[in-house]
Amino acid sequence: MNSIHADAPNLVRVGKDAGANAVSTRASVAIGFGSPAGDSGVTRLDLNDILVRHPQATFLMRLAGDAMRDIGIDADDLVLVDRAITPSHGHVVIAVIDEEFVCRQLHKQGSAIRLQAARSGCADIVAGEGAEIQIWGVVTQVIKAMPV
Amino acid sequence: MFALVDVNNMYVSCERVFQPALIGRPVVVLSNNDGACIARSNEAKDLGVKMAQPWFQVRHLEREAGLIALSANFELYGDMSSRMMSLVAQYAPRQEVYSIDESFLDFEGVPGNLVEIGREMRARVLQWTGLPTSVGFGPTKTLAKLANHIAKMAERKPGSYDARFAQVCHLGDVSQQVLQDLFGATEVGNVWGVGRRMTARLNEGGIRTVLDLVNADVAMLRRQFSVVLEKTVLELRGTRCMDVDHEPAAQQQMMCSRSFGSPVTELPGLVEVASQFASRVAEKARQQQAAAGAVHVFISTSPFRQHDRQHSPSVTLPLVRPSADTRVIVGTAVRAIQQMYRPGFNYAKAGVMLVDLRPQGQQQGELDLFGAGDAVSGASSAAPSRLMDAVDTLNRRFGRDAVGVASAQHQSQNGQHAGKQQRRSPRYTTRLEEIVTAQA
Repeated sequence: MNSIHADAPNLVRVGKDAGANAVSTRASVAIGFGSPAGDSGVTRLDLNDILVRHPQATFLMRLAGDAMRDIGIDADDLVLVDRAITPSHGHVVIAVIDEEFVCRQLHKQGSAIRLQAARSGCADIVAGEGAEIQIWGVVTQVIKAMPV
Repeated sequence: MFALVDVNNMYVSCERVFQPALIGRPVVVLSNNDGACIARSNEAKDLGVKMAQPWFQVRHLEREAGLIALSANFELYGDMSSRMMSLVAQYAPRQEVYSIDESFLDFEGVPGNLVEIGREMRARVLQWTGLPTSVGFGPTKTLAKLANHIAKMAERKPGSYDARFAQVCHLGDVSQQVLQDLFGATEVGNVWGVGRRMTARLNEGGIRTVLDLVNADVAMLRRQFSVVLEKTVLELRGTRCMDVDHEPAAQQQMMCSRSFGSPVTELPGLVEVASQFASRVAEKARQQQAAAGAVHVFISTSPFRQHDRQHSPSVTLPLVRPSADTRVIVGTAVRAIQQMYRPGFNYAKAGVMLVDLRPQGQQQGELDLFGAGDAVSGASSAAPSRLMDAVDTLNRRFGRDAVGVASAQHQSQNGQHAGKQQRRSPRYTTRLEEIVTAQA
């Protein structure tokens, strides 16, 4: 009854996941409230815990183009986008421009908002005159695949 | 005090989070096989598209009015649903996930101004997930549901109700006179549990508005209609007849979820619970001659046990072929649980929901074609099964769960719908190869 079959090729798993090999802590956890340090046992480090502060608000996107290369974001990088963070000056953000998703650095001076590229020769995107800037989320992590 | 939170035009709203070009345009989402409209944006509603209307009847609006039609993307909706559900769960000590986009919350003992809390909750769900919600509060579940309807209509159709009720409406926080006025301005068919047929009969008897229903003679209603309608009226008058996790019999949601009395930490316990829930939803589906294209399962720890590590996974498993067969549904739900379960967590809640529903037998031709590859031999999934009839009969006679499926490993294969889904958007949050691309 409790045998685990793992052969489900198209399984869609969603949500915070402690990883397949997390160490069992049920004996201590079942007791309930106590010192969290003493109760939680030892589990393998989990990238979800480390990289994702707001699981319900975090989405993965893939980058295309090289307008952000001077701050180290290249085409094909994966980025974590967190919608729970209120965008502020200096954040790298995903904005919606002409109904498309665009990655830029947010520049705020008073109420003036610009989106700056991180490459010379790339014009800023400025709000106004019909072009409304809508910030979709804040980029919190960049995941870059190394050639292996 | 109860709240009902739901996502406005859920499926369309999920699509709009990832396709900003759909915002402000008339959009419908089509059922499996692209047959009927199962979700409509407000703009599509304004064009006159009706719920469940066959696509071929409104197809001309594509050219004439710019109507955009998408195939249903249940993986996306399931994931967005679990994000929204776990966010709203943080606002009240008890939650009942009522459908893929609706949740009851019990605010008993929560201090503060509930309208303000409701607005904050709504703003958080909108910012974190991009999904717009409506929130209704009331001293009973039926009133919370009605408040939710008012909140939604006040926003969508300015002038239908006072603008202060838009988005968040609290019927436990208005004067008797205001309550009467709201009841009088609301058609009786908008009351929870009052279906189309009952509405027609009530109208014949001169009961047109909620106010008419509230003032009707309860004994007469019980005689001429049902005990359920009597309870509905009592709830509208403020007498609590239903608790969280207590469904009215008339309601036939393809959903079964419960909070556990005490946390479940072991896999066998979760498997048992999921099997029970799956059996129940399968039976409900058969009662309505419906079959499901996919099974959505979630388990969740309690956000209020703050020292506990939190784990709230959900999964939407497509069925090879639409089914209401207990064996298929239970097998799929159990497989979902086995994949999601992690040792060391205090699970406090689980749910099984059937999604992508369609009339049973709709795809019989297709069934015959693929019948040879059936994983559960002899279980023709969509056609009414004599075995399942027998199971239902026995359960009716000897009580629920008298006969069920032993949760052995089922081999229902995990594949894509056989039906066509030509207009499906990418599965932005569940498939790495389909995530959004941002331009830099």
